[in-house]
Amino acid sequence: MKQGIEGETGMLKEPKKANRRHVELAQKILEAANERAMTEGERLAEQAIANICNVSRTPVRKAFQVLAERGILLRDADGSYRFAIDPVKAVRLDDSSDATPEDDVRAAILRDLAAARISDTQTVASLQRRYGVTRLAVQNSLMKLSEENLAERGAGQQWLLKQFTVNADSGAKSYEFRLAMEPLALTMPDFKRDTTAILSLRQSMLALRAMDETNFDRRLFQRTDMDFHILIAKCCGNPFVAEALISHHTRRFALPTNVHPGTFRLMQSNTEHIQILEQIERGQMTLAADLMRVHIQLSQAVRPRLAGRGVPPSLKMTTR
Amino acid sequence: MTQEKTIAFFPEASYGAALNCVGIAQQLRSMGSRPVFICHPGFSDVFAEYGFPEYHLSDEALGGKTDWNEFINRHQDAFKQSPYAQLESYVRPTWDAIVETALAVEQPLRQLLNRLKPDAIVLDNVVMFPAIANAGVPWVRIVSCAETEIPDANVPPYLSGLSAEKSADWDAFMHEYAHVTAPAHKRFSAMMTECGLKPPPAPLFLGPSPHLNLLLAPDIIRYDRRKPLDPARFVYLNGCVRQEGEYQPPVFAAHNDGPLVLTSFGSLGAMDVSLVKQMIDVFAGLPYRFLVNVGQWRDEYTAVPDNVFVDGWFPQSSVVEKASLFIHHGGNNSFCEALYFGVPSLVMPYCWDGHDNARRAAETGVGRSLPRYDWQPADLAGAIEGLLGDTGMQQRLKANALQMQAHAGAHLAAEKILQVAKAKPDQAAARKTTSRRGGETNA
Repeated sequence: MKQGIEGETGMLKEPKKANRRHVELAQKILEAANERAMTEGERLAEQAIANICNVSRTPVRKAFQVLAERGILLRDADGSYRFAIDPVKAVRLDDSSDATPEDDVRAAILRDLAAARISDTQTVASLQRRYGVTRLAVQNSLMKLSEENLAERGAGQQWLLKQFTVNADSGAKSYEFRLAMEPLALTMPDFKRDTTAILSLRQSMLALRAMDETNFDRRLFQRTDMDFHILIAKCCGNPFVAEALISHHTRRFALPTNVHPGTFRLMQSNTEHIQILEQIERGQMTLAADLMRVHIQLSQAVRPRLAGRGVPPSLKMTTR
Repeated sequence: MTQEKTIAFFPEASYGAALNCVGIAQQLRSMGSRPVFICHPGFSDVFAEYGFPEYHLSDEALGGKTDWNEFINRHQDAFKQSPYAQLESYVRPTWDAIVETALAVEQPLRQLLNRLKPDAIVLDNVVMFPAIANAGVPWVRIVSCAETEIPDANVPPYLSGLSAEKSADWDAFMHEYAHVTAPAHKRFSAMMTECGLKPPPAPLFLGPSPHLNLLLAPDIIRYDRRKPLDPARFVYLNGCVRQEGEYQPPVFAAHNDGPLVLTSFGSLGAMDVSLVKQMIDVFAGLPYRFLVNVGQWRDEYTAVPDNVFVDGWFPQSSVVEKASLFIHHGGNNSFCEALYFGVPSLVMPYCWDGHDNARRAAETGVGRSLPRYDWQPADLAGAIEGLLGDTGMQQRLKANALQMQAHAGAHLAAEKILQVAKAKPDQAAARKTTSRRGGETNA
């Protein structure tokens, strides 16, 4: 059955989307605001922001509109904008806006691969049939997946999708990789602290720490979680390690996950992030690396595989 | 300042009991108490994930490795039988295993309780542990199985799946149940007697607590008991659901706007991959979204239909909240969660109180039952379509869900447990009371 990108049920239909460049700029503005410790109610000067972001005022105005639509900025009667919330509490902006057909096909391929709806061996023609899009759109999607190291050319017309990135074991293998690499990144001789970024990230984490189990903002946590791990990769001072880690983190935050941690675990995880940042700020990198090892091990989902009345305990082995 | 009370939870090693206790423990924590969990061997980290301290019982006493394939094959066959036939093939060996576990953990449990010194113990299990009765502190029983676990002349026999309308089948089932559980009960009674306790009369393995008994049983499916339970010691929670993070359903490649149906048979029920695949074949032809819990067998599933998403774990209560239908095995926790969120149940039981809940769902009009193995694709599809199209049932369930949520069973349980913990008698008095009442069967 052909699954058009628009889908028989309109699966990918969404309301009119903002321009991707404006969303990206809006995200950049948020980061700049955090670095400058801006707070709720503070006005944003259009020209100053344009200078910081190295763009003209017109896209800045558009980006302000994006932020206002998401409730982050308020537009005053005189047309100026101010923060409606403390920017440290802003979640990451959805960057799926203004997606191209290639983006949609790429996302659908990954989603369907993760859900075992398609096999890991495909051809352009088979994907074209499934998604009802042009040959060019499929080719471009595969090229993009190839650039991201998520697909590679196989024999003849075939493409091999890298199922190890999305299968049931991918989470465990990801933790294994991170356990080896992230403490290493923290102890690289050229590790350079980005104190401004650390300070701004800590503010967001402290905002999370002030929340309890009933009002914990999981989306804000997702943002700080990603920013935290990528910050460490960026700061490590070794371009090879940085590249490997950033690529891995980008992929793991973008792909579907089969891990559903409870809110309490996320709260603990936030506290662990803060503790690691504190040690980085103090220059205690070995201690930070040790805390990172603990953090990653605690984050591994461990559940009994088989449980029930009368099930012998030796069967209830756990998986990681 | 009120002294922080330590409440030791000891749920059996099943997800239903464990997660039910988590819901109550979350409430106790918010009230300033210190809930801790005593874990059966192999059932660790479930509670730590919710932020509760875990104390593990040693598994050294529980013998060597069990043959995994043999266990699965043996129970695959048993699960295809009627409740009556399962008495020999499943209920008997299960009770043997439960009593064996109770015997094995007795000493480590006693040592652990001596060190923990809790203010109260909460037992969510189907068997009594002498160490709990002798701990010198009040203990609370949670009945997280179907209400049939507490016998009454008007309640059909436990695990029978029989109708509430009394028949000769009741006596036949009770007679056979007593027969198959007799050897296990004999060993259990000897253990209780050795520990200075009066065992509950056969075929019961756990009598009511003299302090407090909490029943999950929601009002909408309760039985009309001939001898009502004493409200001073028996509290109906009308459901008891834990707090989970919000669940965002995945994007489906087809019918992404269709009603959401969750299918979960628990970790044991997921082991029949062939059956689940047959069900998925039926799901593929329906205009709905299906989430299917396939346990640890996720990699067995390929060519999954576009309107189906399989995974090894779901945060169940959060998913049920967003579902329009819940297909499950009749586990009491699953059944109560469906009622708590006003979601119809399609119960396909395979063992234990799942049979009772399947019958009760149909009898009380809160869902339907379908034999786990004896169905044709049109039967399954018809049941799903029928339940999703039954607006009368849906409205009734939504109204009932509001009542259940307002009842706040987990909060009520926590309050009652705290009352018991605060009224902690001295050790000798508690022991005396527990021993004397050990043989009671109900109110």
